Amino acid sequence: MALPDISRSMLNNSLVLGLFAVLTVGLVAVTQFGTADRIAAAEREAKARALGEILPAGSYDNHLLDHPREVFDPLLGNKTATPAYVATLKGQPSGIILQATAPDGYSGSIVLLVGVLADGRLAGVRVIGHKETPGLGDKIELAKSPWIRSFEGRSLTSPDESGWAVKKDGGQFDQFAGATITPRAVVKAVHKALQYFDAHKAELLAVQENSNG
Amino acid sequence: MALPRITSPHAKGNNRTQRVMLLVAAACAPGALALTWLFGIGTLVNLVWASLVAVAVEAAILAVRRRPLAFFLKDGSALVTAVLLALALPPYAPWWLTLVAVGFAIIFGKQLYGGLGQNPFNPAMLGYVVVLISFPIPMTSWPAPHSVGVWEGLQHIFGLASLPDGWSQATALDSLKVNKSLTMDELWAQNPAFGQFGGKAVEWVNLAFLLGGLFLIHKKIISWHAPLGMLGALFVMSLIFWNGSGSDSNGSPLFHLLTGATMLGAFFIVTDPVSGATSNLGRVIFGAGVGILVYLIRTWGGYPDGVAFAVLLMNLAAPTIDYYTRPRTYGHRKAERGFKLGE
Amino acid sequence: MASYREIAVNGLWKNNPGLVQLLGLCPLLGVSNSMVNALGMGIATALVLAASNAAVALVRNQVTDAVRLPVFVMIIAALTTCIELLMQAFTYELYQILGIFIPLITTNCIILGRAEAFAAKNSVLHASFDGLMMGAGFGLVMLAIGTVRELLGTGAILGNMHLLFGPIAAHWQLTLFSDYSGFLLAILPPGAFLVLGLLIALKNVLDERAAERAKATAAAPAPATSRRVRVTGVIE
Repeated sequence: MALPDISRSMLNNSLVLGLFAVLTVGLVAVTQFGTADRIAAAEREAKARALGEILPAGSYDNHLLDHPREVFDPLLGNKTATPAYVATLKGQPSGIILQATAPDGYSGSIVLLVGVLADGRLAGVRVIGHKETPGLGDKIELAKSPWIRSFEGRSLTSPDESGWAVKKDGGQFDQFAGATITPRAVVKAVHKALQYFDAHKAELLAVQENSNG
Repeated sequence: MALPRITSPHAKGNNRTQRVMLLVAAACAPGALALTWLFGIGTLVNLVWASLVAVAVEAAILAVRRRPLAFFLKDGSALVTAVLLALALPPYAPWWLTLVAVGFAIIFGKQLYGGLGQNPFNPAMLGYVVVLISFPIPMTSWPAPHSVGVWEGLQHIFGLASLPDGWSQATALDSLKVNKSLTMDELWAQNPAFGQFGGKAVEWVNLAFLLGGLFLIHKKIISWHAPLGMLGALFVMSLIFWNGSGSDSNGSPLFHLLTGATMLGAFFIVTDPVSGATSNLGRVIFGAGVGILVYLIRTWGGYPDGVAFAVLLMNLAAPTIDYYTRPRTYGHRKAERGFKLGE
Repeated sequence: MASYREIAVNGLWKNNPGLVQLLGLCPLLGVSNSMVNALGMGIATALVLAASNAAVALVRNQVTDAVRLPVFVMIIAALTTCIELLMQAFTYELYQILGIFIPLITTNCIILGRAEAFAAKNSVLHASFDGLMMGAGFGLVMLAIGTVRELLGTGAILGNMHLLFGPIAAHWQLTLFSDYSGFLLAILPPGAFLVLGLLIALKNVLDERAAERAKATAAAPAPATSRRVRVTGVIE
C-alpha cells in the first residue's frame, strides 16, 4: 500500500529523529556508565579532603564520611538537620565536625564547618558558604586571610564567656578593617556550636562508638 | 543624558559652560573649608591632587581623540568632576586611589562616551563607585575629627609613612548600621563627632554644602527642583520609617538630612545638567528617586551610604523621566506625555 | 569551499566569536574572572564545538530540513552532557567552580550557530577544523579576559592552575605585583564588560591600522566575500 507523500515524509522524519534520540541517549549512557565510579570517587575525595583539613592529621584514622549522623539544634543555627562527622582514633572517638550557620552575617547567612576535638578544643573552622562583601567581610575565607585559624585550640573555657567576641566588643578575636559584623557573626556561631557540643558531647560521641563496635 | 526635549523659545543667558563650572567649583568652598576644619589638610590635598590628575588625564584623552585641547580644557568640567570627587573621597585616601577614581571618571565616565554633554552617568559618581567597590578598606577609612596632623597626613596620602593603627573610625552611618546594642543617645554620647548641633561634628559639613547650594540657586546656576525632590523624599522616607531611638533605630529624619553625602549630593550631584532630567517636573522626580534610593540603601542595603549608587541608578532612568515629563509646547494646549497610539 | 587557512583566520581573528560575533557572552563574561576558569571553560567549549561540528557534518546528508534543528540540538546536548561528566570525573574541583556554566554550553549560540552556518554545508574535516578554530578563538579571548582580570584583581596570574593540570601546577602562580591592593572591580562582573569592551576596541584599532597600511601599499582593495552577521567592526 503506497502511502501519500506527506505521510511518508512524516514517517521518515520520525524514524530519523527517533534514531538520533537513541544514538545520543546511548552516547550519554555509555559515558555515564564509564565515568560513574570515577565521579563518585572524585566527589568523595573532594569532600573527604575538605573535612580532613579541619582536623589535625593523625588525630583520626577512620573515614570521616563513613558514618555521618544527622543532628539538629537551635544552637547550631541550621534550618534543617545536617550531617555531623565523627572522627575516631583506634576505635576511640577523637573529635567531630559539625555544620553551623551564622544567621546574622552582613549580607545573609554564613555556613561553617566546626571541627571540635573530644576534649572540647576547636580543631579548626572553615567557611563553606557566604555572601559577604568582597574585600571586606570575605576575609573569613582561608583563601583570603588566615583569620579563621585564630579559632584553633580555643575552647569554651579559653577564652571564657566574655572573651568570645571581637575585640571591638571587648573580646579576644580580631575584627577586620572596615568590617565588624561578619567576624562578630562567625565568632558567635562558633561559640554556640561549642556550647552545643558541650551539652551533647556524650551522645554525639557515644553513638559513633556503638556503630563502630 | 540631555536629550533636547524642551522646545523653544530658549532665552540666551550669560551662563556659559565655563562660568557655570567655575561657579559650581566656587560654591564647593564652604564645604571644603568645613571638611578641612574638621579633618585637617587631607581634603585640600585631595582637591589639588585630583585637579592635577583630572586636567592631565583630560588633556591626554583629548590628544588621543585629536580634539582641540584648549577649547575643551577651558570649559572647566574636568575640574568640577575632580572637585566633587575630592570632596566625596575620604580625606586621607591614598594618592593612587584618587588617581584611579579621577582617571575612571574622566576616561570611562565622560570621554569614552564622547565628552561633556554625551555622558549618561555622572562622571564623579562613576569614579566614586568604581573605587568604592574596588577598594572598600581605604574607602571606609574616615579619620576621627581633628586627629591627623599636616605632615603625617601628607606622608600617609603619598605612601611615605602610614598613620598609626586606629587612626580611622566609623562614620555615623557606619555606626548606625553596625550598632546592635546601644540606644541612639548612648551611641551619640560615645561619639561626640556625630553631632546633634553644637560641637565639632560632621553635620556642619552638610550645612556648609547647603550654604554653597543656596548660593548656586541664588545665582540661577541650578534650579531648586532636583535638590527639593531629593531632600523631600529622603525626609519623608526617614519620617515614615523612623522607629524611635532604640538600638534598632533607622535614624531620625534630621540625622539623614545632615549626614553622609546628603547635601553634597542634593546640590552638586543630582543637579548635574547632563546626566540628570531636564524638565522641571522631571528634575523633581529625578531628585525624589535619588532620595528614596539613598534611604533604601542606607537602611537596608549593603553599604552605609548610597548617594553615588542612587544617582547612577537614576541616571539610567533620566531619559525615561524626560520622555514622560515633556512640558507644554508653546502654542499647544496640552503637554504631550507618554506614548500615544499611532505615534 | 574555504581553505583551512581561511577557516583558521576566520575563527581566530576576522570572525572571532568573542570579539566580533559577540556570541556566547554569558560564559565569556561569567567565568572569565581567572585564568584557570577561563581556560577550563574555553577548552570545554572548544571540545564540544569541534565534536558537534564533526557530528553535524557527518549526518548532514541523512537529515532532512524538517528535523534538522531537533537533531542538531540533540547532538549538542548529548556532547555537552558527555563533557560535563568527563569534567566531573577528572577535574572535579574545576567542575564545581564552573558549575551551571558547563551544562549551559548547550545553549551557547556559537555552537548551534556554527552547526547551522558551517557544519551543515561542509565536509567532516573542514567542519571539525572550523569548530576547533572557532572554539580556540573563543577560548583565547576568554583567556585574555581572564588574564587581565586576574592580574588587575589580584596582582598575580596563573593562580590555582592545579585545578586543571593536577598537582604539578600547584606552584605556577606568578605574583607580578607584591603588596598590591587588588582592583576588585576587575574580578566582579563589571570588570568583564570593561575588559571585553577594551579588547574589542583594541581589535578594531589593529584592524583599522592594518587596513590603512594595506591601502597605502596596494591601491586595489581586497574583494568583499564574507557577509556574515557582525555586531562589532565593519561589515565587509
